[in-house]
Amino acid sequence: MALMGLVFTAAQAFAQQKTVTGKVTSDVGAPIAGAQIVIKGTRLGVLSDASGDYSIRAEVGQVLQFRFIGNAPEERTVGAADVINVQFRRVATSLDAVVVSALGQTNVKRALGTAQQSVTGAEIAGSNRQNFINALQGRVAGVEVTSTSGVPGASTSITIRGVSSISSSNQPLMIIDGLPLDNKTMITAQLAADAPNSPTAFNNRGLDFTNRAADINPEDIESLVVLKGPEASALYGIDAANGAIVITTKRGKPGTGGFEYSNFFRMDTPGGQPEIQRVYSAINASGSPILGSSTYLYYGVPYAPGTKFYDNVSGFFKTALTQKHSLSFSGAAPDNRINYRIAISADKQEGVVPNTNYNRINLTGATQSVVNSWLKADLTMTYAYATNDQAYKGAGGPLLGLMAWPQDDNAADWQTAAGTRRRYSTLSDASENDNPYFSVAKNVINSKTNRILSNIGLTIAPWAWGSLKTNIGVDNYTNSNLILRHPESTYGYSNGGILDINTDLTRNISTQTLLNINSRQIWQGLSISGVVGNAVSDYKSNTDAQQGLGFLDPNFVSVNNTNSRTARTTISQRRLVSVFGSATVDYNKYLYVTVTGRNDWTSTIPEERNSFFYPSINTSFIFSDAFPTVGQYMTGKLRAGYAQVGKDARPYAYMPALEYKLTSYGGYGYSFWGPNRALKPEFAESYEFGTELTFLDDRLGLDVTWYRKETTDQIVNDIRGSYGTGFILFNLNGAKTRNEGTEITVRGTPYLDDKLSWDVVANFDHSFGRVIALPNALPESYNSDTWLYGNVRSGVKPGTSTRSLTGTFYQRNNAGDVLISPTTGLPLRNSVFVDRGYDRQPDLTVGLSNTIRYKKLQVSFLLDIRKGGDILNATDHYLTARGLSMRTLDRNEPRVIKGVIRDGLENTATPTVNNIVVIPAINRDYYVSMSEELFIEKDINWVRLKEVTARYQLPGKWLNARDASFFITGTDLWLETNYTGLDPIVNGNTAALGGAGASGIDYGNFPMPKGLAFGLKVGF
Amino acid sequence: MKRLFAAVLVGSLALTASCKDFLDVNTNPNAPQAASANLYLPPMLHWWVSSPQWDGRFVGRYTQNYILVSSSPTTWDRMGYDPGSDNGAMQWRDVYWTFGQNLVNMMTQAEAEERWDVLGVGYLLKGWGWMALSGHHGEIIVKEAIDQSKFYFNYDTEEYAYTETLRLLDKAIENLKRTDGAVNAAYLGKGDKIYAGDRAKWLKAAYGLKAMTLNRFSNKATYKPADVIANVDLSFTSNADDALLPFPATVNDDRNFFGPTRGNMPSYRQTYFIVDLMDGTQFGGAVDPRMSRMLSASPDGVFRGLDPALGTYGALSTAQRPNNIWGYAATPAAGSPTRYIFDDKSRFPAMTYAQMQFVKAEAAYRMGDKATALAAYKNGIGAHIDFVNARNLDASSNATQIPAAEKSAFLADPNVVPATAAGLTLTHIMSQKYIAQWGWGFNETWMDMRRYHYTDIDPASGRQVFPGFVLPTTTMYGDNAGKPVQRVRPRYNSEYVWNLASLKTIGGDATDYHTKPLWITQP
Repeated sequence: MALMGLVFTAAQAFAQQKTVTGKVTSDVGAPIAGAQIVIKGTRLGVLSDASGDYSIRAEVGQVLQFRFIGNAPEERTVGAADVINVQFRRVATSLDAVVVSALGQTNVKRALGTAQQSVTGAEIAGSNRQNFINALQGRVAGVEVTSTSGVPGASTSITIRGVSSISSSNQPLMIIDGLPLDNKTMITAQLAADAPNSPTAFNNRGLDFTNRAADINPEDIESLVVLKGPEASALYGIDAANGAIVITTKRGKPGTGGFEYSNFFRMDTPGGQPEIQRVYSAINASGSPILGSSTYLYYGVPYAPGTKFYDNVSGFFKTALTQKHSLSFSGAAPDNRINYRIAISADKQEGVVPNTNYNRINLTGATQSVVNSWLKADLTMTYAYATNDQAYKGAGGPLLGLMAWPQDDNAADWQTAAGTRRRYSTLSDASENDNPYFSVAKNVINSKTNRILSNIGLTIAPWAWGSLKTNIGVDNYTNSNLILRHPESTYGYSNGGILDINTDLTRNISTQTLLNINSRQIWQGLSISGVVGNAVSDYKSNTDAQQGLGFLDPNFVSVNNTNSRTARTTISQRRLVSVFGSATVDYNKYLYVTVTGRNDWTSTIPEERNSFFYPSINTSFIFSDAFPTVGQYMTGKLRAGYAQVGKDARPYAYMPALEYKLTSYGGYGYSFWGPNRALKPEFAESYEFGTELTFLDDRLGLDVTWYRKETTDQIVNDIRGSYGTGFILFNLNGAKTRNEGTEITVRGTPYLDDKLSWDVVANFDHSFGRVIALPNALPESYNSDTWLYGNVRSGVKPGTSTRSLTGTFYQRNNAGDVLISPTTGLPLRNSVFVDRGYDRQPDLTVGLSNTIRYKKLQVSFLLDIRKGGDILNATDHYLTARGLSMRTLDRNEPRVIKGVIRDGLENTATPTVNNIVVIPAINRDYYVSMSEELFIEKDINWVRLKEVTARYQLPGKWLNARDASFFITGTDLWLETNYTGLDPIVNGNTAALGGAGASGIDYGNFPMPKGLAFGLKVGF
Repeated sequence: MKRLFAAVLVGSLALTASCKDFLDVNTNPNAPQAASANLYLPPMLHWWVSSPQWDGRFVGRYTQNYILVSSSPTTWDRMGYDPGSDNGAMQWRDVYWTFGQNLVNMMTQAEAEERWDVLGVGYLLKGWGWMALSGHHGEIIVKEAIDQSKFYFNYDTEEYAYTETLRLLDKAIENLKRTDGAVNAAYLGKGDKIYAGDRAKWLKAAYGLKAMTLNRFSNKATYKPADVIANVDLSFTSNADDALLPFPATVNDDRNFFGPTRGNMPSYRQTYFIVDLMDGTQFGGAVDPRMSRMLSASPDGVFRGLDPALGTYGALSTAQRPNNIWGYAATPAAGSPTRYIFDDKSRFPAMTYAQMQFVKAEAAYRMGDKATALAAYKNGIGAHIDFVNARNLDASSNATQIPAAEKSAFLADPNVVPATAAGLTLTHIMSQKYIAQWGWGFNETWMDMRRYHYTDIDPASGRQVFPGFVLPTTTMYGDNAGKPVQRVRPRYNSEYVWNLASLKTIGGDATDYHTKPLWITQP
C-alpha cells in the first residue's frame, strides 16, 4: 500500500533538478531490488531494479530516503555527486524500520502498539528446510515449533504464546498475500479405517501426514511476520485467536528482466541411535525363547562367548541425499507499472530411513500491473505437487522393531526364499513385531497432493483520501493417501492385508475488501487514519475414503485386489462472514492510539448466538521523541494493548448426528456426541505491555513484552460425562485457561566496521498456561489419541498446566511415599488417572543467532536453547520392559524399592517401611510393571545447533552474473541435552491433534537427521 | 471506474445481505439428524443380544461357565474386577447410549405415527434395560436418565428399577396387543431381523420378560409364583418363538461376538463345574447328549473342565487341555467349522422357550405344584436339546446332531428326569436351567446363582441347588475380604470418573462395593 501513495517520476523534469543514480546493496554487497528511494517530505519516489540500480531526479539539498523491508532506512542528502550508493545494514532495530503489519499493510514500527516480529524470506530459504515452518524455531520469541519426527514430510506444529485451548487447535492462522492458507494435517478419522468402532483404526497413531503449509515453496516467500497476540490479530478474526503468520510472496522487481537460479545438495545422516544391552539373551536356561506379546524378552541367559552380533540398528539407516533447484524469472517495467515473477522449484528429499522421501514441485507466477492512475491489479497463482513416503512409527514401527530384533540375528535378511516375510519367533504373524526392513519395504504410507492457490487483487485509489482493495482467492487441493498394511505384516495379517485410500478435496474460497483511509490531519499535530473491511470465507473439505481387506495377491496394491471393501465420506464445511474496522490517531508521530472492532458471523454456532463482536485498543508512545533530551541517548517506545477475540466451534458440534451402524443389519444410531444447543462462542481477553528500546545509535536493541490471556467459556471438544445423559461425549463451553508470558528480543552489533561486522539476535520466551476450570466442574479432559503408550496421556485437570500429563501413576500415601504391595514388594498403581505435576511446558526457550560478516563472507548460526519441560520417554520404558535397556544390566542385584507397605498403616505416623527384597532377574515385573511415571524425564534442557551457514558473495562479475554466492549449511548438526532418548523434539501423534497434543511423548519416533548442505545462488 | 466500484460494492453487499442463508451450512452432510422409527431398531436389537455377551466374558467367569486361562487366576475368576476399566459394563453403555436417546426418538415417533408394534418393542427394550442393568449393577440411574441438560445423576433403588420395568413391560404388552393404527409387520420387519416384524412373537417375548422379572422376587414375601406361571404361559410356546439374532458376518461388527473371526475367546476354557453337570458326575452317571455338541473335548477326546481357583491348565498335559469353545486348541483358520452358538454366523439367543419352561418349573415347584413343575422341566430339557441341534445347523459345525433316540433316552433317564413329580428338586431344575443357559444366558444365570446365594442347599435333594459349585475361596480377590461377588461396579468411565459424588451416596466407592448383596436377592 505504501507504493500506491507514490507518484512515479520517470518523465518529470524541472530546471533545478539533477539526475542522481546509484546502487543499493545488502550488507554483503548483494544488489537489492525493490528498495524504495523517496525524496523526503514528498511522495515522489522510485524503486531500485534487479541489479540494485536506481535513478531519480532530485534537487540539491533534498534528502533521499532509502527503505527496504526488514532494514533500517538510510538517508542521504543530494549534493554535488551524481552517484549515491547505499549499503543497507540488515538490522531492523530502528523504529522507522518498515514492516508488514496486520492486513498486509506496510507500516513503520513506531506506529505499532502490539508485538510482532518478522523473518525475511532470505533467512527462511537460507535454512534449506523443505517445510518453512521448521525455519521459524528460534527466530521469533514466543514461537514454538515441534516437528513430529525426522522423517521427510513429517508434520510440524507451531504455537505462538503456548497452549491455551484444551482440545482445539492452538496453531496460528496462516495468511498468504492477504488471504488464509490452509495448514491442515490430515486426521485419520477421515479414513475408512477409522470408521466408528472399527478394529483397524489408527487414531492418529503410528503414522503421520504433512501439514499443508509445507506446500509453500520457501523460495517464494519475500517476508513473514508473526503477529503474536490476539491484539495484533483482532483484525484477522476468530481463526487468528492463536496469533497469525502473515506471509508476503515475492514480486518482480523493476529493471530489465533477469533470472535467478539457486540450488543446494544435502546429505542427511541419522540423528542418533539408542544403546541396547548385549549381555543377556532372550533364551532361558532350558534353551527355549522367552516370549512377550510382540517380541522376545531379554531376560535369558547371557549370550554365549563369541556370539556374532549384527549391528541391526545403524545398519538400517542410510545417508540420505537431497537436492533442490529453483529458477525464477522476474522483472518489471522501468516505472514498475507492470512487474512479473515466474518461478519453478523442484525438491527431491530422501530420508535416512529407507524408502522414505518427500518430493515437491512448485510453479509460481505473480504479476502486478498499474492499469491507470487509480487502478492496480495483482495476480498470483501457485501450483504445488508433493509426494511423500513415510515409515510407520511407534508401536510396531521400524524403530522399535529394530531394537527388539535379536542382535545375534541379521535383520537385514528379511525375506524367505519365497520372498515372504522371514519370521524369527514362534509368536503368531499378527503378534511378532515386523522386521523393520520388511516394514519399510512392504508397508506403505504415501501421500500425494496437488494444490493450486490463486489470489486476485484489485486496488482502486481514485481519491486522495484513501483506496479500496479487494482480494479474492481460492486455496484448492487434492490430497490422496494410500496406506497399506501388508497382508504378511503384523498390522495386516489378521485381516489378510488392509489397504486404505482416501482423497481429500479441499476448496477454500476467501475474499477480503478493505477501504483504507489515508492519514489526514484533524488538528495541529494530530492526524487520523483508518480502515474498514469485510471478509467472507467458505471452507469446504470433502473426503472420499475406501478400505479394502483380504488381499488376493499379497503384493498387488489396489482395492480391486481385496475381497471386503468399505467406503466412507466425510464432508466438512464452515463459513464465516466478518466486518471490521480500525482507526489510528497519531499525535506528532510519537503517540499512536489504535482501536479496532470486529463482528463475525459463523456457521458453526447456533444462529441465535452466531454473531459476536469484539474490540481491541492499543497504543504506542515514542517517549524518546516526546522527550528529546532522552532521545539524545536512545530511542524508546512503550506499548500497551487490550483485546478480546472470539472463537467458534468446529462444524456440526452442537447437533447430534446419527451414524450408520455396522452392527447386524445396519440401521441408525447416534454417534458418541450429544447435543448442545446452548453452544456459544468462547472469548479470549488479553493484555499486553511492552517496550522497544535502542541504544548506541541502534547498535543495541531491546524488545520486551509481557502478556496475559484468559480464555473463558472455552469450548472443550469430546469431553466425557456420565452416560446418564444418553451420550458419551460432548462439546461444551465452560473451560477457563490463563496464559502468561514474557518475550524478550535483544539485538546487538558488538562490532562493526567497513570490513567486519558481528550481529547478535537473542529471542527469549517464558510462558505458562494453566487450566483454571473445566466445563461442569468435570474432573479431567484428555485427548484419547495421546493415550498411546501405557497409561499416560495428555490430560488436564483444573489447576494443572495446559500441557500436563496424567496417568495411572503410583499410589502414594499422604506423605508422598510410594505404596508397596505387601505380597510382591512392587509399587502399586492407581486405578484412576491422576495428576502428579508433570508439565511439558518449557520454563525458558532461547533462540540465539549470530551473524558475522567479513568482507564478502558471512557466517551465521542459530542456536535453539530450551530449559525445563518434561518429556515422556516411552521408548525407554518399552526397552526396559523387554530387558533391552542398559539400565536392566544390574538385574541380578537385589534391591528394596523405597516406599511404605500398603497394610492399612500407610497413612499413620508409623507406616511400615518396605523391606521386601526384589531381584529383577527373577521377578521380571519389576521392569514390566514399572510406572511410566519413572520415564517422564523432568526438566529437559537442550542446546541445539539448528543451523550454521557460511555464505560467500562471489566478487565482481563471476560468470557474468550480477549476483552470485556460494554457501554451506549444516542443519541440526549438534545437540546437547540431558534427555536420555534420541531427540527431545517429538510428537507421539501428529500435528493434527488439538490441545497440547502428543508433543513431548517419545515412542518409537525417528530423530531429526543431521544435514550438511552446499549450494549456489546466481542471478543474471 | 464508478461501474467497477459499484460492482465491488454490490458484490460485497450481496454476500453480506444473504448472510443468514450463506451461514446455514451446519446441517451435518455426513449423517442424518433423524431417521424413520424402524431404522433405529437394528443397532438396538444387535446390542440387546450382544451386550450381555460382551459382559458375559466377565460374568461367565463369576458363574463358572468358563475361565480365562492365564499364568495365575485372573481377577474375574477370583470374583474380583478390573480397577479403572470398563470391563463388565458393556450393558451400561448400551442401555444408556445405544438405547438412550435412540430409543426415546423411536418411541416418540412410533407413538405419533400410531405404530403400536414399534412402540411396544420400544417399551420391551426399555423395560429389559432397567431389569438387566439393575440385576447387574444394583442401584442405577433411572428417573434422571437420558437428560442432556444434567451432568450429575442420582441413583435410584433397585425396587424402583423393577417397578419401572414391570410398568414398561405392561405398556409393551398393551401396545403389542394392538392391531389398529399403523401396525405393520413389513415396516417393523425392516428393522427387526429377530421376528421379522411379527408382533405376536414380540408380545410373547414381553410376557416372557415379565415372567423372568417376577421370578427374580423369589426371596421376597411379595413373590407370586402363580403370576410367573401365568406370564410364562402367555409367552413362548415352542422353540419357534425363540428370540434369536442372526449375523450377516460381512464385517467385524456384524459377526457373532463369540465367533472365531472376532477372536475374543481363544483363551477361555470350560470349567469342571459345567462338565460335571453334563458328564454324569452330578447326576448318577447320566451323560448328557448335549455335552459333546456344546462343550469341547480335549485333544485326547476326553471332556474336562478347568478349576477357576487354579486359573491355569494345572498339571494337564497338552493333549489333556480342553479345547476352546470352537473345539480347537488355538484360534482356528478362517472358515473352519465350529460348534453350538459360537460360529461367526451362529444365531445368538436373547431369550428362549427352554429358558421360559425352567422359569415356570421353578415357580411351580416353589408354589408346590410339582406336576406342573416336572412337565415344564421336561419341556425345558427337550426344547434345549432341539435348540442345540438347531444351532449346530446354523453354520458349519464340527458337532453332530443329537438323534431322536438319544434325546428320548436322556429324557427317560431317572437320574435326570425323576419318574414322579415328587422326585423333582430345585437341584434338578436349576442345574438343567444352568445348562440351557450356558454360554449365553449370563444375566439370568448369575441372577439365579445369587438368588440361591451360590451355594444354598436344596432341602429336598440335600445337595446344593447348583451341585458341585465351589466359590473360589482360596483365591478370592483381595478387596472382597472373602465375600462372593454380588454385583458389577457401574461403568468406570461413566460413573467413577464423571459421576463420583453421586456414586458415593450409594457407597459405590467402597473397595468391596461389588460384594454388597442386591436388594432383589434378599428377603
